[in-house]
Amino acid sequence: MSDHIVRAYDNELELLGRKIAEMGGIAEQMIADAMDALGSMNVELAKKVVASDVRLDTLQREIEEAAILTIARRQPMAVDLRNIVAAIRISSDLERVGDLAKNIAKRTIKIGSESRLPRAIVGLNHMGKLASAQMKDVLDAYAQRDVERAQEVWARDAEIDALEDSVFRDLLTFMMEDPRNISFCTHLLFCSKNLERMGDHATNIAETVYYLVTGNNLPMDRPKGGDWTGLRT
Amino acid sequence: MNVQVNMTSGVDAQMAQKISIKDLKFFYGDSLALKSISLPLYDKKVTAFIGPSGCGKSTLLRVLNRMYDLYPRQHAEGEVLLDGENILAADQDLNLLRARVGMVFQKPTPFPMSIYDNIAFGIGLYEKLAKSELDGRVEQALRGAALWNEVKDKLDASGLSLSGGQQQRLCIARTVAIQPEVILFDEPCSALDPISTAKIEELIDELKSNYTIAIVTHNMQQAARVSEYTAFMYLGELVEFAETSHIFTSPSQQKTQDYITGRFG
Amino acid sequence: MSEFSMSLYNARRRKNLFAKAACVAATGIGLAFLALILGVLLWKGLSGLNLAVFTEMTPPPGAKGGLLNAIMGSVIMTVLGVIVGTPLGLMAGTYMAEYGRYTKLTLVVRFINDILLSAPSIVIGLFVYEVLVSTVGHFSAWAGAVSLAVLVVPVVVRTTEDMLLLVPGGLREAAVALGMPRSLIIRKISYRAAKAGLITGVLLAVARVSGETAPLLFTALNNQFWSTNLNAPMSSLPAVIFQFALSPYKDWQQLAWTGALIITVTVLMLSIIARVLSAPRAQK
Repeated sequence: MSDHIVRAYDNELELLGRKIAEMGGIAEQMIADAMDALGSMNVELAKKVVASDVRLDTLQREIEEAAILTIARRQPMAVDLRNIVAAIRISSDLERVGDLAKNIAKRTIKIGSESRLPRAIVGLNHMGKLASAQMKDVLDAYAQRDVERAQEVWARDAEIDALEDSVFRDLLTFMMEDPRNISFCTHLLFCSKNLERMGDHATNIAETVYYLVTGNNLPMDRPKGGDWTGLRT
Repeated sequence: MNVQVNMTSGVDAQMAQKISIKDLKFFYGDSLALKSISLPLYDKKVTAFIGPSGCGKSTLLRVLNRMYDLYPRQHAEGEVLLDGENILAADQDLNLLRARVGMVFQKPTPFPMSIYDNIAFGIGLYEKLAKSELDGRVEQALRGAALWNEVKDKLDASGLSLSGGQQQRLCIARTVAIQPEVILFDEPCSALDPISTAKIEELIDELKSNYTIAIVTHNMQQAARVSEYTAFMYLGELVEFAETSHIFTSPSQQKTQDYITGRFG
Repeated sequence: MSEFSMSLYNARRRKNLFAKAACVAATGIGLAFLALILGVLLWKGLSGLNLAVFTEMTPPPGAKGGLLNAIMGSVIMTVLGVIVGTPLGLMAGTYMAEYGRYTKLTLVVRFINDILLSAPSIVIGLFVYEVLVSTVGHFSAWAGAVSLAVLVVPVVVRTTEDMLLLVPGGLREAAVALGMPRSLIIRKISYRAAKAGLITGVLLAVARVSGETAPLLFTALNNQFWSTNLNAPMSSLPAVIFQFALSPYKDWQQLAWTGALIITVTVLMLSIIARVLSAPRAQK
């Protein structure tokens, strides 16, 4: 992309991009750490996850302020405008992802002492991997302005949704098997909901990337069950 | 550049075209200033012309009321259809054309006469009215230009005694008074402060329900604010014509993108 | 600041001072002559100024008298000349600035007009003499008026064209954009905007013409008596001054000085009025 006549404008946009990248890194790490902590009932790691959310919130505020200032100062148009709007949207998605990871970590701290039923966590781990992969892919798509990749992420969200359904059924079974599992499994239910929401945020970011690059919006309703033929028009 | 591709987003066959510019070329002496321009001005819509200085946007505007006829060695080729009638035809009555296609200029140009006469003068060219009727028309025009409340007590004062913004609104009132069908604005706010500019923009917004409007502006935000369609011109060519919302959020042409985002060298 | 640049600066200051002094001196010399002329004129002219100058005819040598017939003659011929010359000049100037601004004809007319503007007035006097005096057989006020008119035309043409060209193009375009016909734009807009300048042009022409002697000597000649007959020779101030100043008689010489004073003051007044009218109207 060629440069603006006013170089400070380029610097402002570049700074926004860098802060989003930093947020993305932190959010990915938080997901991974939160899932590790949950898998191994590592309370220390969970506490670290909770602590790193502060930085994510700060970054999100900084991005918002910088974006608003740039709008006021430069009256951005076209691709610049989309860039800034994308930064605001993505940062708030990432901030939410951080909150969700933090929530998982907090639950880990609560249930860490009564560790049981490792097999209940297998499905969650799988979901966590998927959510991480989605997040990584969509952040790469953002960094490279890669529409194809963003569309793939967007279409793949159905997998997490399907997985959440099966995790839900598993946890329900465990609870019916032994009522003492109810408290533990309820926490895990919330964790699975959190992971599913992360997937939704990844989808949001994918939509934002699509808008950022093309100027158009993806259709309102996402194809379900891995059928993305509708996209390839 | 392929005009067909450029214009797909902007041309709507369903919409009534007040003016259709077809393959228009314009010459200053031997130099070609407009290179085969084709675009529509839709009825009762605001169309903005943007582009760097010297891109031909003002030249294009001055073809639409044949203002260039005042000067030697300037001529236009092609067709400009106003309600289907070619105004470039040799037998076009220029005074009648200009009564139908009014123009507001960059610098406010009140005539050296009273505020009242500034407006009554133009009306008197085409209509013979009784004094009371004329008074009514003058008031109506001044109200239409959002100037009535500021000048109603000093209609006999010289038009030159008004502030710059008021003078420009007086000029708009004068143009509106003769009830044209099309109004051309040639950078109407470039000599005005932001408040006066806002008033003019508000005015354009009100006028568009009754008139077809074309506006040339250097201020892209202004184009984005007041217009429904935008034409981006560069070096005498039409680069892109599209709905304003499209041009300013996701233009189809790289050149347009570079210009409106301030990347032009 | 280094030593070197300081010396350069001082040298430049000295040069500047010298040039300034030279300019002041030149202005002073010019003004001194003007003051001298006006002073002598006032000194010699005022002493002969009395009511009789404006009420009595030019006297024969040795008798008392005034300049009434000469003043009247000058006024009549100047007014006639301006009445004939101004419309011609206005129309020609209007053509050049409005209708024919870009035509070859305008270039030609402007060139010829400039020649006429700087032509010696005696040549014009001679021309009118050949055309209107020698053919008719006698001198006449008509011929005098015509020769003055010929002098008025180029001045008015020039100022009219210049003043109309000064009317902002935007104003004209604005009028055109309303669909106003050309003739109306000229009358209602251009003339109105250039009004002060146009009047100034006419006043300058009057000032120029009222002091002319040469063309009148060839055409209206002179007349010692009261005459309003345009078909007969007529007196005029410049001609009388010319005649009286060259005469050996003291009374005539005194009247010549007084006449000169009257002309000078009149021309001065016209110039001042013209200047006031054409001053930029900053307050408007």
